Amino acid sequence: MLAIKNLSLKRANKLLFSSLEMQAEARQIVVVLGPNGAGKSTLLLALFAMLEPASGEVLLENKDVQDYSRHDLSRLITWQGDLPPTEFGLTVEQRLLLANDGNDIKEALLYMDLEQLQHRVLGELSSGERQRVEIAATMVRDNPIWLMDEPTAHLDMRHQVDCLQLMKQEAKEGRLIFTVLHDLQQAAAVADVVVLLDGKGGVEVAEAEVMLTAARLEPVFGVTLKGHGRELMPVYNGEIE
Amino acid sequence: MRNKWNEQLFIAMFIAAVGGVVIVALGLGEHWISPWNPSNNMESVILWDIRWPRILTAFAVGGLLALAGAWFQVLLGNPLAEPYVLGVAGSAAVGAVSGMMIFPDSVWVTSMGAFIGAWVGIAAVLSFSHLGPTRLLLAGVVLAALWGAVLMLLMAMLPERGLMLAYAWMMGDLSHSSLPIWLLLLVWLGALCCGLVLSQSLDKLLLGERHAEALGVDVSSLRKKLLLLASAVTAVAVTAAGTIGFIGLVVPHLMRLLFGSLHKVVLLASAFGGGLLLIIADTAARTVISPAELPVGVLTAVIGVPVFLWLLLRRR
Repeated sequence: MLAIKNLSLKRANKLLFSSLEMQAEARQIVVVLGPNGAGKSTLLLALFAMLEPASGEVLLENKDVQDYSRHDLSRLITWQGDLPPTEFGLTVEQRLLLANDGNDIKEALLYMDLEQLQHRVLGELSSGERQRVEIAATMVRDNPIWLMDEPTAHLDMRHQVDCLQLMKQEAKEGRLIFTVLHDLQQAAAVADVVVLLDGKGGVEVAEAEVMLTAARLEPVFGVTLKGHGRELMPVYNGEIE
Repeated sequence: MRNKWNEQLFIAMFIAAVGGVVIVALGLGEHWISPWNPSNNMESVILWDIRWPRILTAFAVGGLLALAGAWFQVLLGNPLAEPYVLGVAGSAAVGAVSGMMIFPDSVWVTSMGAFIGAWVGIAAVLSFSHLGPTRLLLAGVVLAALWGAVLMLLMAMLPERGLMLAYAWMMGDLSHSSLPIWLLLLVWLGALCCGLVLSQSLDKLLLGERHAEALGVDVSSLRKKLLLLASAVTAVAVTAAGTIGFIGLVVPHLMRLLFGSLHKVVLLASAFGGGLLLIIADTAARTVISPAELPVGVLTAVIGVPVFLWLLLRRR
């Protein structure tokens, strides 16, 4: 479905990573991991042609994403990214209706616990509530590919669980999901494939079980990790083993 | 909450409000003349040859300024944006004053100067249109400062009577429009229609450029269209009536506070509401100290600002 060929990205003339090579298919969840500034969000942007790669290409159904019109791409790929600005007083309902192109928004409102907030203005909501609106806005767009940039950011524990469950469910039903996550447990819970950006220009792609190990991640993040799989977590300074 | 407004009802409401205000504005003046039966020929001339064209001009100019304000606010992603934010008022004033220096007694030359000046200002800004909203805004503000400086220089060179004329022009004057009224109303209608066609894309732009693009909007093309549209409309309004402040800033926000932020409603309401407010302001300007007149720009501020502040406070 999505093929990334020899992709290199730059930001302000600094090479973020080079020669990313991978294929992604429907029903997969691809988790992008890496330190701050490594280019995780930038990678998601490149996947829907929001920026031009320094080299290489992203093929969607065998056609370069740069060659799609904005309109066509918006019918194939949904992007959940930074929280939208709030100066102009859109309500939750209006924000979702802008995303949905005519579908019903009830289910998404219900799933993300937003019925009570439906008529509130975005600017009056907390960051967590606004993040829930963004997840709901992703749900109301029935696209085969979802790009989710830190979907669990700002969310309380219950909504983090809801969000991850949603991702698993949607992938099972046929979507391809690319997501940036920072939490290793969350990554381990959903990832089929992990893309690891090391922040120094290097990038590795492998199955989640192979990648989510202390040996692979410690040198990249500069921390000590303990445990395996779902129990993999950092060791804090001064913590007694 | 308010997005289920029945559009026909909405427009009908505005037309009714405008109709009512127009009748009152026609009647009011140095002395009251009933619009239904003017008592003599003189009164009927005052009604239909003096007050009526002035009211129509006020309606069109007010609507155009409010539309331009709404567009600049979303284009620049900044609630403080208004039609003159990118220096178009300044360059138009430079043009108008230059016209006054050459032909001090021709309103037509002043208008021509304003129109050319406005487009020079727009061309200067357009060359920065590829920059993001914040830098475009900065470029506009710096250009406005430049026009301001040139204006100061020109005014220092004007004779005293010319100075009075220049000040009068800069505070707005609806009685001397050299543009035909049918043209102003046509521009008003055209601008509103263009705005309504773009309204859904504009709504998406409220979510920020990336979200708008992700939702299928070609943002860079939309920006260019919008910048050109808003600038053209501002140029026409400035040419017709000089630089009238506050309408473009206050009316769109007023309409958002009253009817919500979706552009279909905001633009419709601004086009009518801006016209309505300017008719009221201009009627007040020519009546409160009649037979003398106040500059209409003073009245738009005196009426617009308290209403706006009251609405802002009420929302808390």
